[in-house]
Amino acid sequence: MDNFEKHIRENAAEFDDHKADHSKMWAKISKDLIKEEPKVIPFWRSPMLKIAATVLLLIGIAGFIGVSLRNDTNTTFASKELLDIDMHYKGLVSYQVELVKNNPNLSEEDKIDFLSFMDELDEEYEELRLEMQKNLDNQLVLEAIVSNYKKRIELIEQLLKQINDSKIQDDEYGYTL
Amino acid sequence: MKTLETDIRFTHQILVEKCKNGDSSSQYELYMLYVDAMFNIGMRMLGNKEDAEDIVQESFISAFKNLGSFNYESTFGAWLKRIVINRSINYLKKKQIAVVPIDKHEFHLTDEYVEETKSVEIKKVKKGIEQLPTGYKQIINLYLIEGYDHVEIAEVLDIAASTSKSQYHRAKKKLLEIIKEL
Repeated sequence: MDNFEKHIRENAAEFDDHKADHSKMWAKISKDLIKEEPKVIPFWRSPMLKIAATVLLLIGIAGFIGVSLRNDTNTTFASKELLDIDMHYKGLVSYQVELVKNNPNLSEEDKIDFLSFMDELDEEYEELRLEMQKNLDNQLVLEAIVSNYKKRIELIEQLLKQINDSKIQDDEYGYTL
Repeated sequence: MKTLETDIRFTHQILVEKCKNGDSSSQYELYMLYVDAMFNIGMRMLGNKEDAEDIVQESFISAFKNLGSFNYESTFGAWLKRIVINRSINYLKKKQIAVVPIDKHEFHLTDEYVEETKSVEIKKVKKGIEQLPTGYKQIINLYLIEGYDHVEIAEVLDIAASTSKSQYHRAKKKLLEIIKEL
Protein backbone atom coordinates (compact mmCIF):
# COMPACT_ATOMS: atom_id res chain seq x y z
CA MET A 1 0.00 0.00 0.00
CA ASP A 2 1.50 3.31 -1.02
CA ASN A 3 1.39 6.62 0.79
CA PHE A 4 -1.62 7.85 -1.16
CA GLU A 5 -3.67 4.78 -0.25
CA LYS A 6 -2.60 4.95 3.38
CA HIS A 7 -3.52 8.63 3.50
CA ILE A 8 -7.03 7.96 2.13
CA ARG A 9 -7.70 4.97 4.37
CA GLU A 10 -6.53 6.81 7.45
CA ASN A 11 -8.90 9.65 6.64
CA ALA A 12 -11.78 7.53 5.36
CA ALA A 13 -14.10 9.04 8.00
CA GLU A 14 -13.81 12.40 6.23
CA PHE A 15 -15.65 10.91 3.28
CA ASP A 16 -18.74 10.47 5.45
CA ASP A 17 -20.02 13.99 4.97
CA HIS A 18 -23.68 13.24 4.31
CA LYS A 19 -26.35 13.20 6.95
CA ALA A 20 -29.28 10.84 6.54
CA ASP A 21 -32.88 11.95 7.10
CA HIS A 22 -33.26 9.73 10.16
CA SER A 23 -36.95 10.10 10.92
CA LYS A 24 -38.13 9.87 7.33
CA MET A 25 -36.10 6.73 6.69
CA TRP A 26 -37.05 5.12 10.00
CA ALA A 27 -40.73 5.74 9.32
CA LYS A 28 -40.48 3.60 6.19
CA ILE A 29 -38.37 0.91 7.86
CA SER A 30 -40.59 0.54 10.92
CA LYS A 31 -43.73 0.53 8.77
CA ASP A 32 -42.32 -2.36 6.76
CA LEU A 33 -41.20 -4.25 9.86
CA ILE A 34 -44.64 -3.94 11.48
CA LYS A 35 -46.39 -4.88 8.22
CA GLU A 36 -44.67 -8.26 8.14
CA GLU A 37 -47.06 -10.85 9.48
CA PRO A 38 -45.61 -13.38 11.85
CA LYS A 39 -44.92 -16.74 10.26
CA VAL A 40 -47.54 -19.34 11.18
CA ILE A 41 -45.76 -22.39 12.49
CA PRO A 42 -47.93 -25.25 13.77
CA PHE A 43 -47.86 -25.14 17.55
CA TRP A 44 -46.36 -28.57 17.97
CA ARG A 45 -43.72 -28.03 15.27
CA SER A 46 -42.22 -24.87 16.70
CA PRO A 47 -38.61 -25.66 17.64
CA MET A 48 -38.75 -22.95 20.28
CA LEU A 49 -41.77 -24.64 21.83
CA LYS A 50 -39.93 -27.95 21.93
CA ILE A 51 -37.00 -26.30 23.69
CA ALA A 52 -39.36 -24.47 26.06
CA ALA A 53 -41.25 -27.69 26.83
CA THR A 54 -38.00 -29.54 27.55
CA VAL A 55 -36.79 -26.71 29.79
CA LEU A 56 -40.13 -26.63 31.63
CA LEU A 57 -40.05 -30.39 32.10
CA LEU A 58 -36.52 -30.25 33.49
CA ILE A 59 -37.43 -27.36 35.79
CA GLY A 60 -40.51 -29.31 36.91
CA ILE A 61 -38.53 -32.44 37.69
CA ALA A 62 -35.76 -30.47 39.40
CA GLY A 63 -38.36 -28.53 41.40
CA PHE A 64 -40.12 -31.71 42.45
CA ILE A 65 -36.87 -33.30 43.58
CA GLY A 66 -36.13 -30.16 45.58
CA VAL A 67 -39.55 -30.21 47.23
CA SER A 68 -39.37 -33.97 47.80
CA LEU A 69 -36.03 -33.77 49.54
CA ARG A 70 -37.28 -31.10 51.90
CA ASN A 71 -40.31 -33.07 53.05
CA ASP A 72 -40.32 -36.16 55.20
CA THR A 73 -43.97 -36.97 54.80
CA ASN A 74 -45.78 -39.00 52.20
CA THR A 75 -45.21 -36.25 49.67
CA THR A 76 -41.73 -37.71 49.20
CA PHE A 77 -43.11 -39.66 46.25
CA ALA A 78 -42.22 -38.72 42.73
CA SER A 79 -45.75 -38.39 41.47
CA LYS A 80 -49.36 -38.45 42.52
CA GLU A 81 -49.57 -41.92 41.03
CA LEU A 82 -46.89 -43.20 43.38
CA LEU A 83 -48.51 -41.45 46.29
CA ASP A 84 -51.83 -43.09 45.40
CA ILE A 85 -50.23 -46.53 45.25
CA ASP A 86 -48.67 -45.93 48.65
CA MET A 87 -51.93 -44.67 50.15
CA HIS A 88 -53.85 -47.63 48.75
CA TYR A 89 -51.54 -50.26 50.20
CA LYS A 90 -51.07 -48.40 53.46
CA GLY A 91 -54.85 -48.29 53.91
CA LEU A 92 -55.20 -51.96 53.06
CA VAL A 93 -52.42 -53.02 55.44
CA SER A 94 -53.61 -50.91 58.37
CA TYR A 95 -57.19 -52.20 57.89
CA GLN A 96 -56.00 -55.80 58.00
CA VAL A 97 -53.66 -55.16 60.94
CA GLU A 98 -56.69 -53.82 62.79
CA LEU A 99 -58.56 -57.01 61.89
CA VAL A 100 -55.74 -59.08 63.39
CA LYS A 101 -55.55 -56.90 66.50
CA ASN A 102 -59.27 -57.18 67.11
CA ASN A 103 -59.59 -60.84 66.26
CA PRO A 104 -60.93 -62.67 69.33
CA ASN A 105 -59.66 -66.02 68.06
CA LEU A 106 -56.01 -65.01 68.39
CA SER A 107 -54.11 -65.10 71.64
CA GLU A 108 -52.29 -61.95 72.79
CA GLU A 109 -48.99 -63.76 72.34
CA ASP A 110 -49.74 -64.67 68.72
CA LYS A 111 -50.84 -61.12 68.03
CA ILE A 112 -47.58 -59.68 69.43
CA ASP A 113 -45.49 -62.18 67.43
CA PHE A 114 -47.34 -61.41 64.28
CA LEU A 115 -47.26 -57.64 64.74
CA SER A 116 -43.51 -57.66 65.51
CA PHE A 117 -43.03 -59.38 62.18
CA MET A 118 -45.10 -56.64 60.64
CA ASP A 119 -42.81 -54.08 62.34
CA GLU A 120 -39.82 -55.62 60.57
CA LEU A 121 -41.57 -55.19 57.27
CA ASP A 122 -42.36 -51.60 58.31
CA GLU A 123 -38.66 -50.95 58.84
CA GLU A 124 -37.86 -52.42 55.44
CA TYR A 125 -40.54 -50.23 53.93
CA GLU A 126 -39.04 -47.12 55.60
CA GLU A 127 -35.64 -47.93 54.11
CA LEU A 128 -37.17 -48.36 50.68
CA ARG A 129 -39.00 -45.07 51.02
CA LEU A 130 -35.71 -43.28 51.81
CA GLU A 131 -34.08 -45.03 48.87
CA MET A 132 -36.92 -43.80 46.71
CA GLN A 133 -36.04 -40.20 47.61
CA LYS A 134 -32.48 -40.73 46.41
CA ASN A 135 -33.36 -42.75 43.32
CA LEU A 136 -36.41 -41.09 41.95
CA ASP A 137 -36.49 -43.07 38.74
CA ASN A 138 -35.52 -46.36 40.25
CA GLN A 139 -38.12 -48.84 39.06
CA LEU A 140 -36.61 -51.56 41.23
CA VAL A 141 -37.12 -49.55 44.41
CA LEU A 142 -40.72 -48.89 43.47
CA GLU A 143 -41.27 -52.58 42.77
CA ALA A 144 -39.66 -53.44 46.12
CA ILE A 145 -42.03 -51.06 47.92
CA VAL A 146 -45.06 -52.62 46.26
CA SER A 147 -43.74 -56.11 46.94
CA ASN A 148 -43.20 -55.15 50.61
CA TYR A 149 -46.83 -54.13 50.87
CA LYS A 150 -48.01 -57.24 49.04
CA LYS A 151 -45.99 -59.43 51.39
CA ARG A 152 -47.63 -57.82 54.40
CA ILE A 153 -51.11 -58.14 52.94
CA GLU A 154 -50.42 -61.74 51.95
CA LEU A 155 -49.22 -62.59 55.46
CA ILE A 156 -52.22 -60.98 57.08
CA GLU A 157 -54.56 -62.70 54.64
CA GLN A 158 -52.90 -66.05 55.37
CA LEU A 159 -53.17 -65.45 59.08
CA LEU A 160 -56.80 -64.48 58.87
CA LYS A 161 -57.47 -67.47 56.60
CA GLN A 162 -55.82 -69.80 59.13
CA ILE A 163 -57.93 -68.35 61.91
CA ASN A 164 -61.08 -68.75 59.86
CA ASP A 165 -60.14 -72.29 58.78
CA SER A 166 -59.54 -73.38 62.35
CA LYS A 167 -62.84 -71.77 63.30
CA ILE A 168 -64.63 -73.68 60.51
CA GLN A 169 -62.88 -76.91 61.55
CA ASP A 170 -63.99 -76.29 65.13
CA ASP A 171 -67.52 -75.60 63.99
CA GLU A 172 -67.60 -78.69 61.75
CA TYR A 173 -66.16 -80.73 64.56
CA GLY A 174 -69.03 -79.49 66.67
CA TYR A 175 -71.60 -80.46 64.06
CA THR A 176 -70.05 -83.91 63.59
CA LEU A 177 -70.47 -84.47 67.13
CA MET B 1 -4.78 -9.69 19.61
CA LYS B 2 -7.08 -12.60 18.82
CA THR B 3 -9.14 -11.84 21.94
CA LEU B 4 -9.42 -8.21 20.89
CA GLU B 5 -10.65 -9.24 17.43
CA THR B 6 -13.21 -11.55 18.98
CA ASP B 7 -14.43 -8.75 21.23
CA ILE B 8 -14.88 -6.38 18.31
CA ARG B 9 -17.09 -8.88 16.52
CA PHE B 10 -19.45 -8.81 19.49
CA THR B 11 -19.86 -5.03 19.44
CA HIS B 12 -23.48 -4.13 20.33
CA GLN B 13 -24.22 -7.80 21.01
CA ILE B 14 -26.91 -7.04 23.61
CA LEU B 15 -28.69 -4.70 21.20
CA VAL B 16 -28.38 -7.17 18.35
CA GLU B 17 -29.81 -9.98 20.47
CA LYS B 18 -32.76 -7.83 21.52
CA CYS B 19 -33.36 -6.99 17.84
CA LYS B 20 -33.35 -10.70 17.05
CA ASN B 21 -36.33 -10.97 19.39
CA GLY B 22 -38.06 -8.18 17.47
CA ASP B 23 -37.63 -5.46 20.12
CA SER B 24 -38.49 -2.29 18.20
CA SER B 25 -36.77 0.19 20.51
CA SER B 26 -33.52 -1.80 20.16
CA GLN B 27 -34.01 -1.86 16.40
CA TYR B 28 -34.29 1.93 16.44
CA GLU B 29 -31.21 2.24 18.63
CA LEU B 30 -29.17 0.04 16.30
CA TYR B 31 -30.53 1.93 13.29
CA MET B 32 -29.43 5.26 14.78
CA LEU B 33 -25.95 3.91 15.39
CA TYR B 34 -25.41 2.86 11.78
CA VAL B 35 -27.75 4.85 9.55
CA ASP B 36 -25.36 7.70 8.74
CA ALA B 37 -22.45 5.41 7.93
CA MET B 38 -24.69 3.29 5.70
CA PHE B 39 -26.23 6.32 4.04
CA ASN B 40 -22.76 7.60 3.16
CA ILE B 41 -21.86 4.25 1.63
CA GLY B 42 -25.08 4.44 -0.39
CA MET B 43 -24.26 7.96 -1.50
CA ARG B 44 -20.78 6.94 -2.64
CA MET B 45 -22.04 3.88 -4.48
CA LEU B 46 -25.16 5.36 -6.06
CA GLY B 47 -24.39 9.04 -6.26
CA ASN B 48 -27.82 10.41 -5.36
CA LYS B 49 -29.83 10.91 -2.19
CA GLU B 50 -33.07 9.20 -3.28
CA ASP B 51 -31.43 5.96 -4.41
CA ALA B 52 -29.17 5.94 -1.36
CA GLU B 53 -32.16 6.34 0.96
CA ASP B 54 -34.09 3.56 -0.77
CA ILE B 55 -31.18 1.13 -0.68
CA VAL B 56 -30.31 1.88 2.94
CA GLN B 57 -33.95 1.49 4.01
CA GLU B 58 -34.21 -1.82 2.17
CA SER B 59 -30.92 -2.94 3.70
CA PHE B 60 -32.04 -2.21 7.27
CA ILE B 61 -35.36 -4.00 6.68
CA SER B 62 -33.54 -7.00 5.22
CA ALA B 63 -31.00 -6.96 8.07
CA PHE B 64 -33.66 -6.89 10.79
CA LYS B 65 -35.69 -9.63 9.08
CA ASN B 66 -32.66 -11.86 8.60
CA LEU B 67 -30.87 -11.08 11.83
CA GLY B 68 -31.31 -14.69 12.89
CA SER B 69 -28.66 -15.68 10.35
CA PHE B 70 -26.16 -13.18 11.79
CA ASN B 71 -23.88 -15.15 14.08
CA TYR B 72 -21.02 -12.74 14.84
CA GLU B 73 -18.62 -14.01 12.20
CA SER B 74 -18.01 -10.30 11.58
CA THR B 75 -19.18 -7.17 13.35
CA PHE B 76 -22.81 -6.21 12.89
CA GLY B 77 -21.57 -3.07 11.11
CA ALA B 78 -19.50 -5.05 8.61
CA TRP B 79 -22.44 -7.41 8.01
CA LEU B 80 -24.83 -4.52 7.42
CA LYS B 81 -22.30 -2.72 5.23
CA ARG B 82 -22.03 -5.80 3.03
CA ILE B 83 -25.81 -5.82 2.62
CA VAL B 84 -25.80 -2.14 1.60
CA ILE B 85 -22.94 -2.67 -0.85
CA ASN B 86 -24.45 -5.80 -2.40
CA ARG B 87 -27.83 -4.13 -2.81
CA SER B 88 -26.21 -1.04 -4.32
CA ILE B 89 -24.27 -3.13 -6.83
CA ASN B 90 -27.40 -5.10 -7.74
CA TYR B 91 -29.33 -1.87 -8.18
CA LEU B 92 -26.65 -0.44 -10.47
CA LYS B 93 -26.55 -3.66 -12.50
CA LYS B 94 -30.33 -3.58 -12.90
CA LYS B 95 -30.11 -0.03 -14.15
CA GLN B 96 -27.34 -1.22 -16.45
CA ILE B 97 -24.83 1.14 -14.95
CA ALA B 98 -21.30 -0.20 -15.21
CA VAL B 99 -19.90 -1.40 -11.94
CA VAL B 100 -16.56 -2.28 -13.50
CA PRO B 101 -14.81 -0.51 -16.40
CA ILE B 102 -16.42 -1.45 -19.70
CA ASP B 103 -13.12 -1.44 -21.60
CA LYS B 104 -11.09 -4.40 -20.56
CA HIS B 105 -7.59 -3.05 -20.40
CA GLU B 106 -6.10 -5.62 -18.15
CA PHE B 107 -2.77 -5.34 -19.91
CA HIS B 108 0.06 -2.83 -20.10
CA LEU B 109 -0.03 -1.91 -16.46
CA THR B 110 2.86 0.35 -15.85
CA ASP B 111 4.22 1.78 -12.65
CA GLU B 112 4.24 5.34 -13.95
CA TYR B 113 1.82 6.77 -11.48
CA VAL B 114 1.28 10.43 -11.32
CA GLU B 115 3.18 11.90 -8.43
CA GLU B 116 1.88 10.16 -5.30
CA THR B 117 1.77 12.39 -2.38
CA LYS B 118 0.51 12.06 1.14
CA SER B 119 -0.45 15.68 1.23
CA VAL B 120 -3.30 15.37 -1.29
CA GLU B 121 -6.29 17.14 0.19
CA ILE B 122 -9.21 14.88 0.97
CA LYS B 123 -11.53 17.44 -0.63
CA LYS B 124 -9.67 17.07 -3.91
CA VAL B 125 -9.82 13.29 -3.67
CA LYS B 126 -13.59 13.49 -3.18
CA LYS B 127 -13.95 15.70 -6.24
CA GLY B 128 -11.63 13.43 -8.20
CA ILE B 129 -13.69 10.32 -7.34
CA GLU B 130 -16.88 12.12 -8.40
CA GLN B 131 -15.35 12.77 -11.79
CA LEU B 132 -14.24 9.18 -12.33
CA PRO B 133 -16.12 7.10 -14.92
CA THR B 134 -18.78 4.96 -13.15
CA GLY B 135 -16.91 1.70 -13.65
CA TYR B 136 -13.82 3.05 -11.90
CA LYS B 137 -15.70 4.75 -9.10
CA GLN B 138 -16.97 1.54 -7.42
CA ILE B 139 -13.62 -0.19 -7.30
CA ILE B 140 -11.91 2.91 -5.88
CA ASN B 141 -14.63 3.35 -3.27
CA LEU B 142 -14.59 -0.29 -2.25
CA TYR B 143 -10.81 -0.50 -1.92
CA LEU B 144 -9.80 2.92 -0.67
CA ILE B 145 -12.75 4.04 1.44
CA GLU B 146 -14.68 0.91 2.42
CA GLY B 147 -11.40 -0.86 3.09
CA TYR B 148 -12.22 -4.06 1.19
CA ASP B 149 -9.40 -6.20 -0.13
CA HIS B 150 -9.34 -7.56 -3.68
CA VAL B 151 -10.82 -10.93 -2.67
CA GLU B 152 -13.80 -9.18 -1.10
CA ILE B 153 -14.18 -6.82 -4.05
CA ALA B 154 -14.06 -9.81 -6.39
CA GLU B 155 -16.96 -11.38 -4.47
CA VAL B 156 -19.02 -8.20 -4.41
CA LEU B 157 -18.50 -7.34 -8.08
CA ASP B 158 -18.50 -10.94 -9.24
CA ILE B 159 -15.13 -10.70 -10.94
CA ALA B 160 -11.77 -12.40 -10.44
CA ALA B 161 -9.50 -11.06 -7.72
CA SER B 162 -6.78 -10.50 -10.33
CA THR B 163 -9.22 -8.41 -12.39
CA SER B 164 -10.09 -6.39 -9.31
CA LYS B 165 -6.41 -5.74 -8.74
CA SER B 166 -5.60 -4.67 -12.28
CA GLN B 167 -8.68 -2.50 -12.65
CA TYR B 168 -8.09 -0.87 -9.31
CA HIS B 169 -4.61 0.15 -10.45
CA ARG B 170 -6.03 1.64 -13.63
CA ALA B 171 -8.71 3.45 -11.65
CA LYS B 172 -6.18 4.82 -9.20
CA LYS B 173 -3.97 6.04 -12.02
CA LYS B 174 -6.95 7.81 -13.54
CA LEU B 175 -7.90 9.32 -10.19
CA LEU B 176 -4.43 10.70 -9.60
CA GLU B 177 -4.46 12.25 -13.07
CA ILE B 178 -7.75 13.96 -12.35
CA ILE B 179 -6.56 15.20 -8.95
CA LYS B 180 -3.42 16.64 -10.50
CA GLU B 181 -5.51 18.75 -12.83
CA LEU B 182 -7.80 20.07 -10.11
